[in-house]
Amino acid sequence: MQDTTHIVQPNRDRNILLTIAATIGVALLLWLLTSLGSIKLSSALALFAIWGIATVSLNLVNGTLGILSLGHHGFMLIGGYTTALLILSDEKRENILSSGRSAMTPFTLGLSIKNFFNAIGLTALTTDETLWLRFLVAILIGGLLAAVVGLIVGIPSLRLRGDYLAIVTFGFGEIIRLTASTRFFSPLTNGALGFSGVPIQFGKSVWWTFAFLGITIYVISKLKYSSFGRAMEGIREDEIASEAMGVNLAYHKVLGFVISSFFAGIAGGLWVSWLGGARLDSFLFTLTFFFLVALSVGGTGSITGVLLGTALVVFVRQYGDPLEQSYLITTWALAFGVILLLTALAIYIFRTLRRSRPKIIPAFYFFLGAGVLTIILALLAPSLGIMQGEFRGFGMRAIFLSILLIIIMVFRPDGMVGRAEFNWAWVFGERLDQPTEEERKQDAWLSNPELNRPGGAANTSEVEED
Amino acid sequence: MIVLVILAIVVGRIMYLGTVHQRFSSAYFIRAFLESLKLGSLYALIALGYTMVYGIIRLINFAHGEVFMVGAFFTYFLFSFSPYPLFVAALWSIFIAFGFMKIIEFWRGKLNDPVVLAFGVAAFILATYLLNQTTVNFFVALAFSMLLTGVLGILIDKIAYAPLRTAPRNSLLITAIAVSFFWQNFGLLVFTNRQTPFRPDTFLRDKLVFSVGNGTVRTTMLSIAIPLISLILVVILTLFVTRTRLGKAMRASAQDAEVAQMMGISVNKVIATTFLLGSMLAAAGGAMWGLNFGSLNQPALMGILPGIKAFAAAVIGGIGSLPGAVIGALIIGFMENFMTAIFPKTADFQGITEFKDTFAFILLIIVLLIRPSGIVGEDLSEKV
Amino acid sequence: MAMLEISKLNKSFGGLQAMTDVSLNVNEGEIVSVIGPNGAGKTTLFNLITGVYTPDSGDVRFQGKSLVGKKPSQIVDMGVARTFQNLRLFTNLSIMDNILIPQHHKLKSNWLQAVLRTPGYRKEEEQMRKYALEKLSFFGPRLMSFRLYQPVYVLSYANRRRSEIARAMATGAKLLLLDEPSAGMNPKETIEMTKIIKRMRDEGGYTILLVEHKMNLVGEISDRVVVLDYGKKLAEGDYKDVVSNPEVIEAYLGKKASDDEDGSL
Repeated sequence: MQDTTHIVQPNRDRNILLTIAATIGVALLLWLLTSLGSIKLSSALALFAIWGIATVSLNLVNGTLGILSLGHHGFMLIGGYTTALLILSDEKRENILSSGRSAMTPFTLGLSIKNFFNAIGLTALTTDETLWLRFLVAILIGGLLAAVVGLIVGIPSLRLRGDYLAIVTFGFGEIIRLTASTRFFSPLTNGALGFSGVPIQFGKSVWWTFAFLGITIYVISKLKYSSFGRAMEGIREDEIASEAMGVNLAYHKVLGFVISSFFAGIAGGLWVSWLGGARLDSFLFTLTFFFLVALSVGGTGSITGVLLGTALVVFVRQYGDPLEQSYLITTWALAFGVILLLTALAIYIFRTLRRSRPKIIPAFYFFLGAGVLTIILALLAPSLGIMQGEFRGFGMRAIFLSILLIIIMVFRPDGMVGRAEFNWAWVFGERLDQPTEEERKQDAWLSNPELNRPGGAANTSEVEED
Repeated sequence: MIVLVILAIVVGRIMYLGTVHQRFSSAYFIRAFLESLKLGSLYALIALGYTMVYGIIRLINFAHGEVFMVGAFFTYFLFSFSPYPLFVAALWSIFIAFGFMKIIEFWRGKLNDPVVLAFGVAAFILATYLLNQTTVNFFVALAFSMLLTGVLGILIDKIAYAPLRTAPRNSLLITAIAVSFFWQNFGLLVFTNRQTPFRPDTFLRDKLVFSVGNGTVRTTMLSIAIPLISLILVVILTLFVTRTRLGKAMRASAQDAEVAQMMGISVNKVIATTFLLGSMLAAAGGAMWGLNFGSLNQPALMGILPGIKAFAAAVIGGIGSLPGAVIGALIIGFMENFMTAIFPKTADFQGITEFKDTFAFILLIIVLLIRPSGIVGEDLSEKV
Repeated sequence: MAMLEISKLNKSFGGLQAMTDVSLNVNEGEIVSVIGPNGAGKTTLFNLITGVYTPDSGDVRFQGKSLVGKKPSQIVDMGVARTFQNLRLFTNLSIMDNILIPQHHKLKSNWLQAVLRTPGYRKEEEQMRKYALEKLSFFGPRLMSFRLYQPVYVLSYANRRRSEIARAMATGAKLLLLDEPSAGMNPKETIEMTKIIKRMRDEGGYTILLVEHKMNLVGEISDRVVVLDYGKKLAEGDYKDVVSNPEVIEAYLGKKASDDEDGSL
């Protein structure tokens, strides 16, 4: 039997030290960035963390299990509203009661962590200083409740196939939102009014949000790279084969849903804190769409990719306002013309890189022509008396993201990063899937210099000659 | 079985309501019936598009609701702002003529055919004239919009779905969601969120009043027109699918696309045709929807809810089956409208109007869990 | 008591009777081959044993316990594993992952322990990897090099077949159902596969039920041969006897061939 050069012996101690060092590094970086004083930046960073929790947990189901779940916003709603209801200050509750327009009852308004602590005698924990502890408890309860609903949603998943399952999860997401506004649940959710005045110091704090993000990344990545994660990937690759190899489909699918929705609930709680209030409109399908963009653009195969995608989406959301202002129509036309020209350029580069023949196709001329025409028109517009006035770019950010998603799906469906995951072994160039020196020497094909130029056939994962 | 039970409940409820209040006369129920029929017909036009596309490429075309919306938009622009300056009229007409050529192509076989080109040029000239010189009436706008939206459907497929023919299904679904979102926000860009009145000058909006028993039914000509037009379109579609060669090719591709291709059928052409037809129907639905409600509420988002309900209809009836889609749509239409009519808000009962949107979802989930092949449908499981 | 006892198995698919009253025993340590023309129901038999289909009537007992009505994953827990006629490897995962996943059902740690990487879990991981290499070693050094961490789609067809068998072994099952293990292999590879299957029984202690079309392989290793045709058991016994049975010849080659009493298949 060959010597065991290829059994994985990750250098655990080194890796643990490196991770601790990296965490300290990230913390320092965060401290630096927040001390710059820009509220916008801190907000954006916190949002990145919150949405990161949502996307990484969503990826457990969509990416690892391979089940397209479209109801993540529903779980966030449950977590968010639970947190809001449990943590709202006494004054806010008074306001709601006295406003007379709310469907909430004194009982439902009395559901707070504060009252609970008082009831069991922990009065020391009901002060303003210990708000953070109560918030923590509220978030955890929100997560657990969302996990329970995840269990309920996970069970039909056992019987349904891909596209139908996606629709059912979408349906659940919408049903959760629609029923939250009905008469039955208004006493708990305050119907269309929602809750305002949720303490924002937790959701807007990079420390709180990144701490939870760290925990999420830890749990999900440790799960993904364990036997359970492998079983889930097996389910994604081939359900029937996995079952034939002993994998309990029901258990693993439900496990994925429950863990994923737990973290979605946590993200929901932090989200309402970031927003400063819980409203039904904060939990539209649009949220899940943003998450889908983050997942697909970054790469569903790796957590690193998902985080990169999330960063992009958060950036566009937070810093994309310039896109949605009012500009002269001629300015819009100019911008559009430039985009057309860039598309033509992209086509040319793409075909050159792929060594496609012919390099220049009709589409190239189309975009080139359209772009030049548009720019000329825009420049001449004032003298021609056309294209006057201004135009407001409503929804430009979403348009940009949708186009980006379509482009990624068509040209690079694995996402920007694909399945490549960041790990310390990669940093040190320790690759297990390439031959060692000894193996090269022993293998007749590999030791053939003709085939062994960099990028030559033997150095890539080509189909082997047996 | 279940159907009889439901019928019994409905009839019983109607008779009960009749005794409760004078308002619940037969006129009231007849009006409710007519409204439900209208709604069901409109949903059917959308549902057919869903079911046809799913039948062939197994894609739930999330963007179909938006196609419906765009169809309404096109109609609106055409009857509201014509006559157009020549340049703009010509621009519209290029696409209208192209759509028309696609239809003639069914008959002649290919696009390069001189007959097709002749018709195309004729259509272009006619359309440009009409759009430049007149305020087009509703029917012309409807026809033009159907052609335009049909072309849009083909383009969407060519740009976003065709490149992913061999991709895993999840990718295709995600792309469809992206397309859907794109059009919603594009609609937002064009319309912002203003409610837009949809009142073309047409006899269809005339009132229709007749007495029944001791009550009067007040409705419009649309109660006849919408079901009638929908019926005509569905009949034409069914004839096309069952009698023509291309229709046979569509059905063959729906059964087994790979083998169909081996038999010489251009599956890509079949798919493009499917999108063309489905989008045309959806456009008709959109135009008549606007006409029926008199305005476009939150125009950019108007396709979301009807789209989902129509999809639910297609599934309930049996996805992949044309009659199934129509049956399912009528069921949803009646459930939504008639049910709320027979459980209205009275002195002692709150009514169930606020749940009317959730009905479709819940029924969809129930059907998917209990009988995924729907009322008419076939079993599509995997062979080991 | 035989290790596997199949009694009067019946299965129909909407009017098509796929299996009629098939009974069969496999004793521990045996290699039994199931042969028959295409469409005879051999893969259906495997699907019925492993829980993919539920029989209309009849029983399947493994070590005395009934398998009928159980889910495929439960049947693997009980000790029966299979390969697929058309290969169902996890093509985008690495070879090592393909051999680790079948071991998952034996894991004693729960998911929380896995997340926390408890010492108990880490030990199990190490053992799983060692066990994986053990199973792969049956096929010589070819599957044990750096290729282990490359995705399965880089493997040649023959290596994929071997991996599929290694996967079934990795489940820890005692009874293996091999569906055409040498399909697509050239004569040299087939001879090697014959030797490997023998070693699996002799050294590995596996009991093997296999479906095959290549008669040289069947003749070389089978203790017993069972013939199926149109869902019915046609014959059972020694290879030589079965092969010269006129009904069997007729099933494969038609009536005239059986009249010739050529005895060659």
